[in-house]
Amino acid sequence: MTDKTNAASGETTDFGFETVNKNEKEGLVRGVFDSVANRYDLMNDLMSAGIHRLWKRFTIELSAVRPGQTVLDIAGGTGDLAAKFSRLVGDNGQVLLADINDSMLKVGRDRLLDSGAVGNLHMVQCDAQMLPFPDASIDCITIAFGLRNVTDKDMALRSMERILKPGGRLLVLEFSKPVNPIFEKIYDTYSFRVLPLMGQLFNNDADSYRYLAESIRKHPDQDTLLGMMEDAGLVNCEYHNMTGGIVAVHRGIKA
Amino acid sequence: MNTHHDPAIITAVLMAAEGAINRGLELDPASARDLADLSGTVLAIECWAPALEVFAIVEPEGRLHLTPYCEQACSVRVRGGLNDYLALTTAEDPAVTLINSDLEIIGNSAPLIALQTLVAKMQPDWEAPLVGVLGDVAGHQLANLLRQIFQWGEASSKSFRRQLSEFILEEGRLSPPAAELEYFYQEIDSLVLKVDRLESRLKRLAQRLKTPAR
Repeated sequence: MTDKTNAASGETTDFGFETVNKNEKEGLVRGVFDSVANRYDLMNDLMSAGIHRLWKRFTIELSAVRPGQTVLDIAGGTGDLAAKFSRLVGDNGQVLLADINDSMLKVGRDRLLDSGAVGNLHMVQCDAQMLPFPDASIDCITIAFGLRNVTDKDMALRSMERILKPGGRLLVLEFSKPVNPIFEKIYDTYSFRVLPLMGQLFNNDADSYRYLAESIRKHPDQDTLLGMMEDAGLVNCEYHNMTGGIVAVHRGIKA
Repeated sequence: MNTHHDPAIITAVLMAAEGAINRGLELDPASARDLADLSGTVLAIECWAPALEVFAIVEPEGRLHLTPYCEQACSVRVRGGLNDYLALTTAEDPAVTLINSDLEIIGNSAPLIALQTLVAKMQPDWEAPLVGVLGDVAGHQLANLLRQIFQWGEASSKSFRRQLSEFILEEGRLSPPAAELEYFYQEIDSLVLKVDRLESRLKRLAQRLKTPAR
């Protein structure tokens, strides 16, 4: 229904620095992640020099997840957050690893099985804009480096707010805007020169990594995203800049 | 909440410290078991200059989790400045320093003392990882060599401190010996006492002179 409306109206959105029809973005993003899925973790380590582990660890600390809770990790990709949540919620809790991309989910599933994270973990292939879960059913939602790839971010945030239990929390870990202008210049050079080169060298795919850099620039900055979360109905919203604002983790509570 | 520092940097430091502590505990199963008995203990370490808050959470498996953010109720909270913490880490008797220093302890101090005792008693088996990598013979020989180097280092450090102290006090006469200082302080105390007595006598005398004779 929504797709048809968008196609008819010819609504557009950004795909990196390109402007595409809203209906096309999902397929284009899928193409990018199909291409990078197999070497996603390796590339994350290479591109961030391993710092992404620190960003994710701090996000997990902020989640304050307790045993017995239900956690949804959207755009969970290869499941590194889900594996840690699986240990935190224990046997009485459950972790739902959701991703729109089946290639990423397959890599995540295999990795989690290999690491022994089973029993309280479930995989769901779904769209963050239309989450297939009952209202007020989830204690904590995390979306790490996924929101910028979502076509309609406001719709996704509203969908997340809907399924959170009152008092439940949403954590959005995402690339953001560096706070120091000089640092931003260096970061820009790294993103547009070094990242595609690394993509070409290690994954034989410069375009996907160019898209990653472009999509980061098109993503809302810290304060804009904070406003979007408040507009979605979340309260006590706040954010923490990490590594000079390259990444920010936003947190909001369901009223 | 640590709002003044980059969470990624704090997390990196804590991850490294946590990894080292837990590796040490793996090499000392007895201490790990003792630590497991304290499972659920949350120790908050608060430093006001620089402003920093760190939490140490004891996990049921006998491991320690260090984090810059914790929503659990703290069993005990220690507050102080960086100097106080540095004095604690370099103290010969940390328990005495902890009690006598300016560090403020809020909450139940029993788990804190238990943790301190556990750290003091810890004896990691450093030979185990070497044997694991190099084999029984080479690992044992290297461990012996390292043990001798550490013992030599410890003995040399003690000897150096003693000789430096002797040079400063006896040979160079750069600082008076402790006994001489003690005698000097006693003399000062005695002088202060005498001056106080003299002052009160003079006051009494002045009072008598002011009072008209009957």
